[in-house]
Amino acid sequence: MQRIIPIIVCFIFGAFMLVQFFVPHRVSVSAYQTVLDWMQIIFVFTLLVGVISYVKLSSKKITRTQSGWGYNLIGLAGLVVMVIFGFWKGTGERTPFLWMFNTIQAPMQSTMFSLLAFFVASAAYRGFRARSWEAGLLLLVAVIVMLGRVPLGSFISHWIPDSANWILNTPSMAAKRGLYIGIGLGTISTSLRIILGIERTYLGKK
Amino acid sequence: MLSRQLIFVLIALSVAIPLVIKIGLPNQVTTEVRNVYESIEQLDSGSVMMISFDHEASSLPEVKPMAQAILRHCFQKKLKVITLALMAEGTAIGEQLLRETANEYQANYGEDYVFLGYRPQAQSAILGMGEEIKRVFPQDYNNTSLDRIPMMKDIKNYNEVKLIISVADGDLPVTWVDYAVSRYHPKFACATTAVMATSFYPFLSSGQMVGLLGGLKGAAEYEILLEKPGMGQKGMDAQSVSHLVIVLIIVWGNVVYFLRRKTSTVDSPRSTAKPL
Amino acid sequence: MNIETLIATFLTLCIFSFLYKDNPFYKFAEHLLVGISVGYVLVMAVNTTLMPKLVNPVFKQGELGYIIPGILGIFMLLRFFPRYTWLSRISIALIIGAGAGVAIPATIQARLFSQMQASMKDFASIDGIIIFLGIASTLAYFFFSKEHKGWFGATAKMGTWFLMIFFGATFGYTVMSRISLLIGRMQFLLGDFLHIIK
Repeated sequence: MQRIIPIIVCFIFGAFMLVQFFVPHRVSVSAYQTVLDWMQIIFVFTLLVGVISYVKLSSKKITRTQSGWGYNLIGLAGLVVMVIFGFWKGTGERTPFLWMFNTIQAPMQSTMFSLLAFFVASAAYRGFRARSWEAGLLLLVAVIVMLGRVPLGSFISHWIPDSANWILNTPSMAAKRGLYIGIGLGTISTSLRIILGIERTYLGKK
Repeated sequence: MLSRQLIFVLIALSVAIPLVIKIGLPNQVTTEVRNVYESIEQLDSGSVMMISFDHEASSLPEVKPMAQAILRHCFQKKLKVITLALMAEGTAIGEQLLRETANEYQANYGEDYVFLGYRPQAQSAILGMGEEIKRVFPQDYNNTSLDRIPMMKDIKNYNEVKLIISVADGDLPVTWVDYAVSRYHPKFACATTAVMATSFYPFLSSGQMVGLLGGLKGAAEYEILLEKPGMGQKGMDAQSVSHLVIVLIIVWGNVVYFLRRKTSTVDSPRSTAKPL
Repeated sequence: MNIETLIATFLTLCIFSFLYKDNPFYKFAEHLLVGISVGYVLVMAVNTTLMPKLVNPVFKQGELGYIIPGILGIFMLLRFFPRYTWLSRISIALIIGAGAGVAIPATIQARLFSQMQASMKDFASIDGIIIFLGIASTLAYFFFSKEHKGWFGATAKMGTWFLMIFFGATFGYTVMSRISLLIGRMQFLLGDFLHIIK
């Protein structure tokens, strides 16, 4: 029963949402909107699952004073402060919540990702070698696009941005379109398998 | 061989120096960006546009200049702008940027623009708005019922929206194409981080997207069309110089590689490496 | 200089310190970021979705139908109680099933019909032929039910060239993206903090 009920639920909702596309009747549209509402509400709880997992994990490390527990305490303190500010004063203009976001969260997060600029350059130096024809082609295209998409490219020669444009709109686009069509076929078959109960990995282990 | 630390220093300098000492290389506008601009330019004043902030704070330096340039264009053209966020962090960023830009043009909340707030589960939110926006967002971000917002009175779903733009740092524009464009056929464009740009070219050529802004460069191009310099253009010299430095680093890496391989081939005749 | 700029600069430098090596300043910033980000998502999810979509309709407007997704949502939280974990599968099944149901027609239209139609559009031109070859060979490369030998192997091989072009272009754009992020942070450090640039 613990596995049959979810499979039946999956089939009913999957089949309804599929069939509804072809039956745009007032009643079916209303039911369709209801299901969409339900999906959003349930999804919020999945976010809460993530939050609770983080709190559980951090608390465990702190109470057992495992190595690095002090850092977990900092993380947990950040969460608690953010939640208190958010629920107490709201999230709008000139609130402590927004102040925390602008002063701490946003600068740190964008800095974290900007680190990748250094690592991309370092990795490119170490790993970007023309060891074969394919690797050489990859390297050549990367260089053309890198130069062709910045003002320097057109300053050197108009051939560079023109070539970059052609690459992006023709061979690169063709490969990505091939990937999209392949992924599309995969999505359709996997979705059908899920609705029909053949694909059950989302149920996890027993 | 270049050490890791030296590469880091070179990258830092290649970004910092051009920010201080301006070079002023001329920038070219690409067709993808021009198409977005033209799509907005062709709209009559009072037309409704929807902008979705589908990004995190991590990509702020890239997405903010693009979103700002587009919002400026919208307010300049006196369009009605509906905004929302399908990523949590896009909420705070989008709301602040919208407020700042609206103030620049003396636009009024509720009459010229509205911020609906955040909805998780993008797939159902996008589909739901195709039927009825008020059902997905019964209230705006300030908890005001949509029925009490004058601008939203005659807007039911995508039928009233002339253009949708997703400002994104992931693949949410694909979700918009899959669920909004294919089912409800609104005009759609995206302003995305450069790292995602190549993924969206198939949708440009199929007409499922009318145009595309790719990263800081996209923002700089839009600012040229708008004749209003902003954050995008300020960064273009640094972008050019740092790209050149990375290209030179790669070339140098290959020169070292081939020189070493040549030496090792001479030393070891049994080497089986295929030459380029 | 205001306190916000000082705090943001300190935290920015804490993260940049990782370029030297992993250190306590970086770890401090990293954990603080994770905690604050989780708190942010929680507040946003509750304030902007749970309240207007569930709490207000049920408790203020008396729309009792919303109790059902509310219960299904609570089922999700039962994942933390081993005896009742299975109930969360019902909620997951609803989202996955409904998601799969809407994905099929959307994918057929958006990914297959529209993309194939666009590929046929310019078939008479050289670029059109290149695009057709690119799509066919890329698909051949990922088709593993037939051995990659003979003409089929040659087609699949051609697919790798197109894929390499795509990866190369994506790498070029990735560099562009990461440098843009660094430019943003440099503009903050050199402008807001050091006032060297405007």
